[in-house]
Amino acid sequence: FQDQAEQFFRSGHTNNWAVLVCTSRFWFNYRHVANTLSVYRSVKRLGIPDSHIVLMLADDMACNPRNPKPATVFSHKNMELNVYGDDVEVDYRSYEVTVENFLRVLTGRIPPSTSRSKRLLSDDRSNILIYMTGHGGNGFLKFQDSEEITNVELADAFEQMWQKRRYNELLFIIDTCQGASMYERFYSPNIMALASSQVGEDSLSHQPDLGIGVHLMDRYTFYVLEFLEEIHPASQTNMNDLFQVCPKSLCVSTPGHRTDLFQRDPRSVLITDFFGSVRKVEITTETISLDRDVAGFESKLPKDELATEPLKYAEQLPVAQIIHQKPKQKDWHPPGGFILGLWALIIMVFFKTYGIKHMKHIF
Amino acid sequence: MAAPLVLAVLVAVTVRAVLYRSSLAAFISERVEVASPLNAWKRVVEGLALLDLGVSPYSGAIFHETPLIIYLFHFLIEYAELVFMITDVLTAVALYLAIQDFNKVVFKKQKLLIELDKYAPDVAELIRTPMEMHYIPLKVALFYLLNPYTVMSCVAKSTCAINNTVIAFFVLATIKGSAFLSAVFLALATYQSLYPLTLFAPALLYLLQRQFIPIKLKSKSFWLYTMQYAALYLCSLVVIICLSFFLLNSWDFIPSVYGFILSVPDLTPNIGLFWYFFAEMFEHFSLFFVCVFQINVFFYTIPLAIKLKEHPVFFMFVQIAIISIFKSYPTVGDVALYMAFLPVWSHLYRFLRNIFILSCVLIVCSLLFPVLWHLWIYAGSANSNFYYAITLTFNIGQILLISDYFYAFLRREYYLTHGLHLTRQDGTEAMLVLK
Repeated sequence: FQDQAEQFFRSGHTNNWAVLVCTSRFWFNYRHVANTLSVYRSVKRLGIPDSHIVLMLADDMACNPRNPKPATVFSHKNMELNVYGDDVEVDYRSYEVTVENFLRVLTGRIPPSTSRSKRLLSDDRSNILIYMTGHGGNGFLKFQDSEEITNVELADAFEQMWQKRRYNELLFIIDTCQGASMYERFYSPNIMALASSQVGEDSLSHQPDLGIGVHLMDRYTFYVLEFLEEIHPASQTNMNDLFQVCPKSLCVSTPGHRTDLFQRDPRSVLITDFFGSVRKVEITTETISLDRDVAGFESKLPKDELATEPLKYAEQLPVAQIIHQKPKQKDWHPPGGFILGLWALIIMVFFKTYGIKHMKHIF
Repeated sequence: MAAPLVLAVLVAVTVRAVLYRSSLAAFISERVEVASPLNAWKRVVEGLALLDLGVSPYSGAIFHETPLIIYLFHFLIEYAELVFMITDVLTAVALYLAIQDFNKVVFKKQKLLIELDKYAPDVAELIRTPMEMHYIPLKVALFYLLNPYTVMSCVAKSTCAINNTVIAFFVLATIKGSAFLSAVFLALATYQSLYPLTLFAPALLYLLQRQFIPIKLKSKSFWLYTMQYAALYLCSLVVIICLSFFLLNSWDFIPSVYGFILSVPDLTPNIGLFWYFFAEMFEHFSLFFVCVFQINVFFYTIPLAIKLKEHPVFFMFVQIAIISIFKSYPTVGDVALYMAFLPVWSHLYRFLRNIFILSCVLIVCSLLFPVLWHLWIYAGSANSNFYYAITLTFNIGQILLISDYFYAFLRREYYLTHGLHLTRQDGTEAMLVLK
């Protein structure tokens, strides 16, 4: 029974949230909405309810006048999967998807009049999945073709979330061009990040549908969706498998990930820790009396896990050890060659003017 | 003569020290007449702070000082006030020694010309005596040290004082006759602010005179000496510039310093003529007019060299004045330098025609500068035209001052050789006119 209890409390979270953002508008960015909706679909299927999902779509593709198949958003060219479905609940739509609103959702600095469905009401035991897609570049992500969010802003927003105890662990997935640049600047603990391409690479789209006339999905999210379709709430698949999704041969770009800020070994992190809402509820028909003496609990930790104390907010990780912030301020000194040259010249001028015979007066 | 000089130095240092401790220091250091983008102290501090943060100070458009200034202030930044007081004292002492030597030269030349009978018989009252020339060096030092312009420039810690020191040492080296030191200091002065390049001509003329080489275009010794001096000057300039490269291992300082001086991108108002003109000009004309304005500074050298080839030190004075008036970012510190030379020509007083009006113009304009600035920027009841008008008037006053001295000098020379009472061909009294 003790082993089962350990399995139960393996990860420190008690609830799951998801923030899914699509930042591009216009009909030809259909694929970004399809990306976000497919992750939404997976996340909902695995158990996270709408009340715990903040879905931000910058444009409406299903009811777009250019959509030949209205009320649908397909993810595969044979129209196999309609990710729009019957019960999509979009929280931030159209022009409400702005950098400011996104950051307000993350940090919780929302005006009191905001409705509950538009808030990220996470606490310090929440695991949050943040998925972003759109057009990006080295260090920024474009919102609505008019503004940008930079990797520094994002890192600072996550730090605010950490300091306000708004997450236990955070999984950040981004599918844009040069996506790896967006997670370069993170410095808060317990963040794992995945990106569809490295700096200098473009993320490519998958296939166009000749009937609809646009590319339907991006490659990385397409293969992630394929991977997630295999997952069910009781899966034991871990993050290492997610890192292998979409190798370079399929994706053309090189997906990247970042786990140095994450406390646990990715091998022990289940996919459902972030994508699903696996309730730690087990229904039994018999009563179990708990042993008062639980002193032997800690020594039963398996050896491959880190034998560290569970992280408490009071003792935060020393941030400076994790990342290199500003380099230590060194005072500038003129190079030795310069000083030597200058004083040699001055002495030469002095002796040229006054002659060598004065040297004996000096020495 | 050392004792009065020491006394003057002490008084000047006291005045500056008192002003440093008073609340006026902050007010003065922000005045645009005293601190220009080229020599403001704020920018030096900013540049050194950027260097401590690991960024090249020339990467923005803030810092326009040469690398040698970086080196100088890197170690002396805590003693900045002391440094500026010492530079003022050094300038004054250099000018004092220079003018002392110059007086001897003038007197010797005068004696030679009298013995050679070059002077007209009735010019006894124009001949200069050692008695009257005795106090001139002290007056020069006093004029420099106690000039309100210099004091303000020192209190504002503007690096114009360092430029002035280098030019004063150059003058001292030239008048002492050392071609090598003169070339070195001229190279340093050019390196600091580019315009002293025009002082090459008067220095060359003086040194040629001192070596008794006649200034004829066909003379071989003339060309030889010119080549020597030019070679010394250019070599020292090249050496100094290459040495500056090694301070920061980059050539960034060349566009930041010389590109800035020549292309005048910063149009903050100052007492010069560039800012207003370029503030209201269309982009596609600005290159043309920048070239015209810059040529204007260098343009007067050759005609003046031809006219004043017998009087190179006066030429030097006029040249320094022209630099201070027409340079791209003048400040009152530059004005103070040439004003320090005025006692040397005090014997021209009887020939100056407009001296009263001009001194009134200069004094009134100096007083009106802060008034109209306040009215324009703070009260809002004036506009830039008011300030520009005072700038124009001030510069016109300076130009007329220089041309007045020029006229008086030439007139005295003419009288010396042609006699005091000039008559026309029909016997009536003639009047000399500067055409």
